[in-house]
Amino acid sequence: MLARLQNVTKRYRTTEGVRDLSLDFPEGEIVGVLGLNGSGKSTMLKLIAGLLFPTAGTLTVFGGSARGNRSRTVFLGETDTLWPWMTPRDACRLMTGLYPDFEPHRFDELLDVLDVPRRKTKAMSKGERGRLRLAMALARSAKLYLLDEPLAGIDLLSREKILMSLVREWHTDETILLSTHEVAEAEGLFERAIYLRDGRLALDVPAEQLRQQGGSVVQTFKEVLA
Amino acid sequence: MTAETWVLDLNAGPIFEQIGKNVRMQLARGDLVPGGRLPSARDLAATLSVNPNTIVHAYGELEAQGIIEKRRGLGTFVKEDAPVETMRMDMLKEIAETFVNEVRQLGVENAEAMAALKEAWDAG
Repeated sequence: MLARLQNVTKRYRTTEGVRDLSLDFPEGEIVGVLGLNGSGKSTMLKLIAGLLFPTAGTLTVFGGSARGNRSRTVFLGETDTLWPWMTPRDACRLMTGLYPDFEPHRFDELLDVLDVPRRKTKAMSKGERGRLRLAMALARSAKLYLLDEPLAGIDLLSREKILMSLVREWHTDETILLSTHEVAEAEGLFERAIYLRDGRLALDVPAEQLRQQGGSVVQTFKEVLA
Repeated sequence: MTAETWVLDLNAGPIFEQIGKNVRMQLARGDLVPGGRLPSARDLAATLSVNPNTIVHAYGELEAQGIIEKRRGLGTFVKEDAPVETMRMDMLKEIAETFVNEVRQLGVENAEAMAALKEAWDAG
């Protein structure tokens, strides 16, 4: 088991991020983490990434603490933290210095696949920056990838490129947790869909099972979260 | 291989079944022939933006049905003795049954239905 949440609650000062979540994430799954804004998607991913600490409950990542295994998980957050003067080359140097599992060669390939221009990020579109950030994340060789809204707010072509490179880069022993609003575009990618509502688990289901029952991940999104 | 060759509707049942149906249809139409090579699971998954495991599942089913085979290190191929003609006839039968069922629900008589079928055929 790569990650296990047992009755995990994260309370912020005034609000609750997630409440009483119990979930297992074994090796080799692409999981859609779905929910409306404020449903707890980011909180859950940040907890597993070791960037937040549970208020209650038990969280184990790689059999230990999430914080202690931070270097073994890849987290791609929603906020664009790239410096304006940074080029993909600078990003490569930065990542190589920060993460021993970062593979510069793979990064270069990803820049090509994702069609990232070799210029400063201030001269890039939002989609291009999003693609660069994804290349930085995927060029790390890890077992657990936590991708928070990598498709949000970027153009359709970029979203398609990102989805295609996810399919290409994913190894069958790796697990990807991908939160998204763009459910329709990503739906084919998910083997498993997790629906969060108000910080609680609303549904955890294999995607093919939804389709077997005449539904879809999108349709269930509307039903469960309406 | 292009995405247009493959028809996928994420609201029309399990993806693995649709992939299987696509392969059978391509065989029936002659777009794929016995001995022909199928795209790798990874390539097809990327083309269609679906999970590679789903394609592996679909190929596994087709293999169990005796339609395709994996050749170690070479890829996935349509079996030389794949029952193409049987598949063609099965698909035709399935389409005919759908037609008959819908016509019956309309409450239309046999002769009238056949006339309509002939008319539509000649028009197409």
